Amino acid sequence: MTEKRFTVSRETAWCPGCGNFGIINSLSQALDNLGLDPKDVLFVSGIGQAGKTPHYIKGNVLNTLHGRTLPTATGAKIANQELTVIAMGGDGDGYAEGGNHFLHALRKNVDITYIVHNNQVFGLTKGQASPSSDLGMITGTTPRGVSYESFNPLAVAITLNAGFVARGYAGDQEHLSKVLQAAIQYPGFALVDVLQPCVTFNKVNTYQWYRARVYDLNQDPDYNPHDRKMAWERSWEWGEEIPIGIFYQVERATLSEHIPALENGPLVKQPLVSPYLGEVLAQFK
Amino acid sequence: MRNFNILIGGEAGQGLVSVSNLLIRAITKEGWYLFAQQDYMSRIRGGHNFVRLRLADQPVYCCERGVDLLVALDQVTIDLHHEELNQNGVVIADGQSSPGENFDLISISFAEIAKKQGQPPIMANAVAAGAIWAFLADNLSAIELVLAETFGDKGDEVVQGNIKCAQAGFNLAREGRTLTHPAKPLEPPEVMILKGNDALPTGALAAGLKFMSAYPMTPATGVTEFIAAHSERLSVVMEQAEDEIAAINMAIGAAYAGVRAMTATSGGGFALMTEALGLAGSAEIPVVVINAQRPGPSTGLPTRTEQGDLLFAVYGGSGDYPKAVLAPGDVEEAFYLMGTAFNLADQFQTPVIVLSDQHLADSYQTVKPLDPAKISIDRGNLITDAGPEYKRYQYTDSGVSPRLLPGFGSGGLVVSAGDEHDEEGHLIEDAETRIKMMEKRMRKLDGMKTAALAPVTYGVQEEPEYILIGFGSTKGAVREAVDLLIGKGIPSLQVHLPQVYPLPDKLRQIWNLPGRKIIVENNYVGQLEKLIGAELAAAPDGHVRKYDGRPFAPQDIVEQLLGGGGR
Ligand SMILES: Cc1ncc(C[n+]2csc(CCOP(=O)(O)OP(=O)(O)O)c2C)c(N)n1
Ligand code: SF4
Repeated sequence: MTEKRFTVSRETAWCPGCGNFGIINSLSQALDNLGLDPKDVLFVSGIGQAGKTPHYIKGNVLNTLHGRTLPTATGAKIANQELTVIAMGGDGDGYAEGGNHFLHALRKNVDITYIVHNNQVFGLTKGQASPSSDLGMITGTTPRGVSYESFNPLAVAITLNAGFVARGYAGDQEHLSKVLQAAIQYPGFALVDVLQPCVTFNKVNTYQWYRARVYDLNQDPDYNPHDRKMAWERSWEWGEEIPIGIFYQVERATLSEHIPALENGPLVKQPLVSPYLGEVLAQFK
Repeated sequence: MRNFNILIGGEAGQGLVSVSNLLIRAITKEGWYLFAQQDYMSRIRGGHNFVRLRLADQPVYCCERGVDLLVALDQVTIDLHHEELNQNGVVIADGQSSPGENFDLISISFAEIAKKQGQPPIMANAVAAGAIWAFLADNLSAIELVLAETFGDKGDEVVQGNIKCAQAGFNLAREGRTLTHPAKPLEPPEVMILKGNDALPTGALAAGLKFMSAYPMTPATGVTEFIAAHSERLSVVMEQAEDEIAAINMAIGAAYAGVRAMTATSGGGFALMTEALGLAGSAEIPVVVINAQRPGPSTGLPTRTEQGDLLFAVYGGSGDYPKAVLAPGDVEEAFYLMGTAFNLADQFQTPVIVLSDQHLADSYQTVKPLDPAKISIDRGNLITDAGPEYKRYQYTDSGVSPRLLPGFGSGGLVVSAGDEHDEEGHLIEDAETRIKMMEKRMRKLDGMKTAALAPVTYGVQEEPEYILIGFGSTKGAVREAVDLLIGKGIPSLQVHLPQVYPLPDKLRQIWNLPGRKIIVENNYVGQLEKLIGAELAAAPDGHVRKYDGRPFAPQDIVEQLLGGGGR
């Protein structure tokens, strides 16, 4: 038994039975297993039920705006590479309001872990459709059922050659904490999309529904997470069978490796003014 | 003061920028004071662009009306500007141009002359510069120096080719003319020559900037590219973001983690940043935003100037939170105010907005050498250690809480949120905590008011007849308008505001002086007038405004004032 350094007892704003509990437990477990110190971990979140998660776990917190989780986390990581930065938020936060940032974070490959609590609805605003809602889902804003194609974050991430692409399930904490551990250890942008039952607003994708469908794709001996084409094809499997696990993992240079200034150590620990400032001024003479 | 005004015009892509940059540096080397203003269209080729160069034997603060030497790279330049020629004004035209009726026209085909020297057509620029130089000096040494500096890394052949071309242009323009040259200062002044978009980023670097993120938008892009160009050598990060929302949020993330961070944009991009400014306000994260204004609304006039974002910068955003808005008036002030901006941001843990505009951004000015040692760095109540009991938003009398950085300290955690929160930074919804936290944040505004930069005055302090009040880049034109008024026997005073929010209390005292208070600003509705009315309950006696997308000339101000009685 490792010490539970990340667990705090604070009253949450979540409904009993919410999938967020499974995610926070798995995350605390993963961080404890990695032997991290809360003071070296930064949780960055957006707005939504999922966005409140950092307040219920021990660590530094930057709870930002709806959809702006990723750019804020990126700035913080660049400023202090020594922090373990974990970005988190809902599917509305990440795939709707923050959709553009999501695409570009995949391209940049900044060394952070991004956990999306994907309940396929907007929880905090009381159950409207989200980009990842299944076709036909009836919600407050879609009384005739969702008519748009569902957003597939894994396929998008693999298409953009993201370095680490995984899916977890909030109902399988043991598996999820392992996936999260691998994601946090991965040097680069690690996406973990977590299937998160919302007991209040999502009456379609329930625990029961998932339990009958999810399977660990990494148990399949023929599955190769370094094969991009295979990963991309598997990312479209959704229905009777739903794969969870690490879909894709490759080595890519991280954003920090492309930034010369970061070769001189964490930005926050560097001298404020460069000794070469005089050269800049000299050009005006 | 004795002036000489040159206007060089042509299509975009015709070499205007190269010629004027060469001249700007040579004029400075030769020992004149200079102000250079750029007027360009939002396109890459064609259209009509021009640069005004005003050189003088005393410091100059803006451009003025009138042209002594008109250099036309195309016929349009002559058609549009020949009426601005002063008495004895001369036109140098590239190639065949229809002869003027009331002016002396010198036709030189720049490219052909370059060819005759056995040089490529691009060296037409050196021919033009040489021809212009004939009107300024009786030898080419300053031009030669600048050519050597500019093309040195391309090899001696290129340098010598350019010098040959400049010499040919110089000789042709002198042929058969006795030219008197503009007066120079008795002593060559010790100066630097730079534009606002050089001074702002250099000031930021001198103030300890470590992180910038931005999305390109004219006229702010120069700041962004400047930082990017120096980032490796000076160990600074410049990240190009996917949009302005990402840009400011990245800067906020970096600032939260502890580095001095900024972003730069123009009106439309600034609009996209307003939600995040509120985040910085609520979470008390110091971040600096440069808004290089262009005329709005919407995309407006992308390459022109206006002061139309003042009220937006001061009041824009949802909810109340403290912030400071600075408005540098010239290149020198731009440099030093970046130090103030970062210090205020750290001292009060708030966002600080620096209002620039196209006129400040793109105008070159000779200034006293900038001294980075005069920018002191004050990071405010930053603490290096705190235990587990640490509270990021601890209630204090000043409203400013001790600030620990994440990852530092012995167990202290930094919990920050844009949602309303308690002293620890965790989310709350109860009225009592909300009131306390709101009051804590807003108390910072009291300290900020006390720290607000005093107005800068110039002219006649005793019994002025006119008091011209302005902010930002009108500073130079207002100063010279005051000189013109005094020259006409009308005692006048300039009051320039380098800080527009919170307004300094000292501004109120101006209303104790006799004389008509006139607010000069480059926008339609009179935003500074409204701001002073709202914040200080003071009303002016008149105003001078424009909204044509162009900067004021001192004569514009005097004419509006005396012509229309200041209304
Ligand atoms: C700019 C902005 N737009 C809209 C909202 C309202 N809002 C808050 S959370 C949310 C969506 C919540 O859904 P999701 O991100 O999936 O998180 P969940 O609550 O389901 O965990 C919305 C639309 C907001 N806070 N800010
Ligand atoms: S509304 Fe749904 S997502 Fe939000 S706390 Fe309740 S169950 Fe969880």
